[in-house]
Amino acid sequence: MNALISLMVAEPTGQVQQIAKTFGVDWPHLVAQIISFCIVCFLLHRFAYKPVLQILAQRQQLIAQDVADREKIKAELEHAEAERRRIVLQAEDKATKVIEEAHAAAARLLEKEMQKAISVAEQVITKAREAASLEHDRMLAELKREIGILVIEATATITRKMLTADDQRRMAEETVKSLARAA
Amino acid sequence: MPATLAQVRRVTKRLFRWCVVNDRLEEKRARAVIQRVVNAKRRGYVAVLSEFKRLLAIESVKHTAIIDSAVPLQIDLQTRISDGLERLYGQGIRARFVQNPDLIGGIRIRVSSDVYDGTVRSRLAALAASFGIRSA
Repeated sequence: MNALISLMVAEPTGQVQQIAKTFGVDWPHLVAQIISFCIVCFLLHRFAYKPVLQILAQRQQLIAQDVADREKIKAELEHAEAERRRIVLQAEDKATKVIEEAHAAAARLLEKEMQKAISVAEQVITKAREAASLEHDRMLAELKREIGILVIEATATITRKMLTADDQRRMAEETVKSLARAA
Repeated sequence: MPATLAQVRRVTKRLFRWCVVNDRLEEKRARAVIQRVVNAKRRGYVAVLSEFKRLLAIESVKHTAIIDSAVPLQIDLQTRISDGLERLYGQGIRARFVQNPDLIGGIRIRVSSDVYDGTVRSRLAALAASFGIRSA
């Protein structure tokens, strides 16, 4: 080092010396400072920079891990979402089919019940008509009977009053004639 | 004398046949039969008399004509009816005239199961039947 300084000092131009002198450079001090700086740098590199870098690397690794996990979770989430959508669609399809089947069954049942109700109603109407017809016939027969009784009673009364002795004889002779015809 | 019902009927029928001459019941013979059975008083004579009475009643019905009329019939008409009955059923027929105002008019002659009905009541009954009335 001293040789170098000596070499620089020994330069013929002397311009370097001039500059150094202008800026106040003290070569021994400068060299000592450089050496000190190098030592500091080494120490810093050894005991501060390396651990920090290690921590940073670990943090970076952790972050990368987190990012990977997040990506994985995201992918799984998307997969789950897709699965959910698929299941929902499937359920909707099934529900639609079940509803359609239920509608069809309900329609069939409704039709069946309607037919049954119509049949029962027709039977009731038929029975009612028959009953009404029977009642009508019965009433007619009753009326006919009542009228018949009245007619017969009236005829008997009037005939009893109107028949003369000649009529009686004539009627008796008719019977006698029928007896003679039988003989 | 008979002991069973069949014997009673057989004996009574024989006695009754003896009373019938020319398809007519001889009243004298019937009286004689009854008198002899009563006098003899043999076993079962009451049953025989009962059966004999039943046969006489049947014979009487067969030879009796009942003439129902609403009003009393004139003698000439009664004679005509009796003559007609004798022509139809023979000499032994007897006519019994009954007045029945319920007949309203006409006459009805009944001989055993034969009926000649010319009464107003029978015509009303026919009319009632057409109305569905069972009895007028």
